Amino acid sequence: MAMDKDKLSAIVGSENVSEDPDLLATWRQAGPVSGGEPQLLVRPRSTAEVRELVKLARAEGINLVFSSSAPPRVRGDSVPAGEAVIVDMSGMDELVRLDRRNKVALIEPGVTFERLIPEVDKAGLKVLMPLLPKRGKSVLASALEREPITIPKYHWDMTDPMLCTELVFGTGDLFRTGSAAGPGSLEQQWAAGGAQKNPMGPAQTDFVRVVQGSQGTLAAVMWCTLKLEVKPSIHRIYFVPDARLSRLSDFTYRALRPKLGDEWLILSARQLATVTAEDPSRVDELAAQMAPWTVVYGVSGYEYLPEMRVAYQEKDLAAHAQAAGVMAASEVPGCSAKRMERILASPSPEPYYKAAPKGAFMDIFFLTTLDRVPHFVSVMEAEAGKHGYPPERVGTYIQPIQQGRNVHLEFTLYYDSADAAKAGELFTSASQALSEAGAFFSRPYGPWADLAYARCPDTVAALRKVKDMLDPDGVLNRGKLCFTREVV
Amino acid sequence: MTSETMTQSFETISDEAYRDLEAAVGAEYVSREPGVLDGYTWQPTINDDPAKWVKRPVAVVLPSCTEEVQEVVRACNRHGLKFKAFSTGWGVYSGCTYDNVVQVDLRRMNRILEIDEKNMYAVIEPYNCGAQLQAEAMKLGLNAHIIGAGPACSPLASATSGWGVGWDGVYMSYGHRNLLGAEWVLPDGEVLRVGSLDSGLGWFSPDGPGPSLRGIMRGSAGALGGLGIFTKCSLKLYNWPGPPHMKTEGVMLDAQTEPPEHMRFHLCFFPDRASLDEAVYKMGESELAYIFTRTAVGAYVNTFAPHLLQNVSRTRAFRDVLSKTLKWGCTIILVGNSEDEIVFQEAVLKEIVSGQGGLSMETMQAAAIGPMMVMNFLRVSAIPMVFRAGGLFSTALARNEAWDTQMDWAEKGEKIKQRWIDRGGILDDLADNPFMALYEQNTWGHCEEIFQYNARDPKHLASLEPLFVEFSVAAMEMCMEPLSVTDARLREVISPMMGHYNEWQKKISLFLDARRAADTGMYCDEVDIDLSKIDPEIRETLDRMVAKLTWSEEGPPS
Repeated sequence: MAMDKDKLSAIVGSENVSEDPDLLATWRQAGPVSGGEPQLLVRPRSTAEVRELVKLARAEGINLVFSSSAPPRVRGDSVPAGEAVIVDMSGMDELVRLDRRNKVALIEPGVTFERLIPEVDKAGLKVLMPLLPKRGKSVLASALEREPITIPKYHWDMTDPMLCTELVFGTGDLFRTGSAAGPGSLEQQWAAGGAQKNPMGPAQTDFVRVVQGSQGTLAAVMWCTLKLEVKPSIHRIYFVPDARLSRLSDFTYRALRPKLGDEWLILSARQLATVTAEDPSRVDELAAQMAPWTVVYGVSGYEYLPEMRVAYQEKDLAAHAQAAGVMAASEVPGCSAKRMERILASPSPEPYYKAAPKGAFMDIFFLTTLDRVPHFVSVMEAEAGKHGYPPERVGTYIQPIQQGRNVHLEFTLYYDSADAAKAGELFTSASQALSEAGAFFSRPYGPWADLAYARCPDTVAALRKVKDMLDPDGVLNRGKLCFTREVV
Repeated sequence: MTSETMTQSFETISDEAYRDLEAAVGAEYVSREPGVLDGYTWQPTINDDPAKWVKRPVAVVLPSCTEEVQEVVRACNRHGLKFKAFSTGWGVYSGCTYDNVVQVDLRRMNRILEIDEKNMYAVIEPYNCGAQLQAEAMKLGLNAHIIGAGPACSPLASATSGWGVGWDGVYMSYGHRNLLGAEWVLPDGEVLRVGSLDSGLGWFSPDGPGPSLRGIMRGSAGALGGLGIFTKCSLKLYNWPGPPHMKTEGVMLDAQTEPPEHMRFHLCFFPDRASLDEAVYKMGESELAYIFTRTAVGAYVNTFAPHLLQNVSRTRAFRDVLSKTLKWGCTIILVGNSEDEIVFQEAVLKEIVSGQGGLSMETMQAAAIGPMMVMNFLRVSAIPMVFRAGGLFSTALARNEAWDTQMDWAEKGEKIKQRWIDRGGILDDLADNPFMALYEQNTWGHCEEIFQYNARDPKHLASLEPLFVEFSVAAMEMCMEPLSVTDARLREVISPMMGHYNEWQKKISLFLDARRAADTGMYCDEVDIDLSKIDPEIRETLDRMVAKLTWSEEGPPS
């Protein structure tokens, strides 16, 4: 692949082109994905520059890998399959618009959670967060990758909280999705009262859905609007610890159907200890004191009669808890409700919380339904046993999404350098076993792509046609997902 | 319907092709009898030239399963015919737009295949209707989103192929966003299953692995039959805290239903638009409402008692009461899961309404109104009564967006309509007749401006296409996507204002349908429109909008 630094410099300016090997090193390997050979890094400052980069890539056969977040990189979607130019979007970091009335922000890819949360808070709103995102994680990238948010009632559909986008396809064409498509420029739409809140369209297309989850293989996203919600005036967190996951599942089903609660997640003792430990060296000790499973939920009051809202929610949830045979508590070992409230509203501390206890970790996550979770937990335990991997080094996180219709189920393997090989083996075999057991790897990073796409050849055939339409020369993150052939 | 296709056609199907269709579905489920075929040429809604109807199909087939649908589509491919799916019908978009189309009537595929109570979804076939699905879901403490077209319409059709608006959207979202999976017979006869279904993992997740094919199958509007036939789909169900059976006597306006214990029906009125708008935003932030609509009081009278409205509207005082005094109102149905919750919801609603200087009337417990209204709202039985006034109606929809924009659209629509009412071009419904709803606790809003007409009145028929153009131009002026983005007559004009979306739709059509077997008249076709009957001032505005809003190579206008 030709890497003409001069031509790239002509587009973004020589000061925005780098071949610093230390800088490029973070794109060589991430999690289970390795083999990246980033040659150069460019930092565009505008949509026009990105379009020129794509046009150049088409002309020169360059592989462009878009990346917005700060390291550490953990999933490998931005680790190139071979040579590539890294397009670092972190410099496009403007919070373009924050609309309190319509509860929406327009953000560029470089806006991080650390940056956005206080800005949104000042407006009396809150960001719909995944659990403890990396401090330097791009908010746009998080939504683009369908990272689950912790408040299921606000997760109406898989696109949430992402609404409208501006895209540059692999053809170099510019496109806008949802109500941002117009007619009219953003400024003209704003003048007419538009807020880019409707995520669907334009017309009979819905390209935002196609681009979400595509790991940068179909289009680059220049900005998006992000759904925000009202910051509660009263917010209380509860813990529901229990020895049996089945009871907590029952409680969860009962509570989420009538849209009770705000935050709602289920954590194993290991995972809850990892999330909550102020001192990572105490994770083992805390985990040993905790119940095997804990539901963490929040209840909120807003502008009107907040105490009354919280009161009825607490009462109704207590009734559901009683029916399910569980009981809420205001703290768990090492963590108060107040501390948990802060955790749920913040990015991860540094170092990244999953890396803190043992130094390294690997995640296995997929979608399923809550009633099937115990089955997958058994599969994971069996695989860990098979590999002699200590069960206490596997954390489990269950995040209801789509208002409780699905869950994001995540197993985290914690390991130190001495256990790296064993963890790697477990990652591979457990991924395989979970896939065979019915795990839906809807976000198929790295080796999961082969597992996921082997199950759905018709989807693969259709996606390759989509790739051929949107990125006919295969210049966007070549070799990822099912796009191992550049042009179909 | 397109200008080109507004002529009657009587093309016939070859015997060989007909035999292939018989082989596909069985001889008793195919017909080419003219009388039968003509039954498919009439669809009542959004038909701006009902005198000419839609194209007559060359044959109609009634498959019973996906495999038979595949065989029909393959037969069409073999014989150079087109096909067009039809489930429960309603709009002109259900009809054929070419001369050589086989209408695939899906009425034999009418089952609910599965209801997953815990995970809150149902798997249904195309001819299962909203009322059936809702009735079965309620037995399990669940409910189904029913679109504004009413309970006789197919939820599959709106979720996969049409729109999906309904006044329960505030709690139960929008058709497309409720889709969890789909079985899709592509225009070449192959089957594509969308989401986790294609991995053999069930109907629970619609997107992935990786990119979502939902983004190809439709947008805010569906492909309206232009990309194949959907034979099954999985749809989200929502909480229903009422009884498993709604005890009801009678139908429509004679219905008497026992209101559920924790349901309240409020008619709210505000002194002006600003206070109504503020209240709507506050209701959204308070996460209130199971059903919400802003439907003008005059529109209610017009729907339920059209002759009464025609009479009272001649009296200035009554007219002013309906169109001015009670103008800024909304209807909100609250449903609680417990006594405490419904008490809380009502208390908040009262604070919001009184805080904006409004007043609220709870009518659920009123013997004369409540029992009649319950199912008309819950099951959306009332809306189809809009046909009563003149026999037909159409609608002017602009892009669903922030509530403020929808109120702007309602006001604009009222002004446009009043001019046409004054000149006798449409029925007098007091002009202010929007159907407005909220989605997902006011994440965005909806407004379509309803207008009614009499198909036997030549003046009304002559008004329809000019109105269609005028509403479209008005939407462009307000930076809103008009309903005509799905209409072949204006796609060529509007598409370049919106990122050339139709060029992408043509590409999608091409890669899925190389042999052009699907009827794409409502999806990506473009035809010329004769603008000579359009008011010169509107034409001039359209020209100005084209110059102002068309994208350049650099993108949208700055």
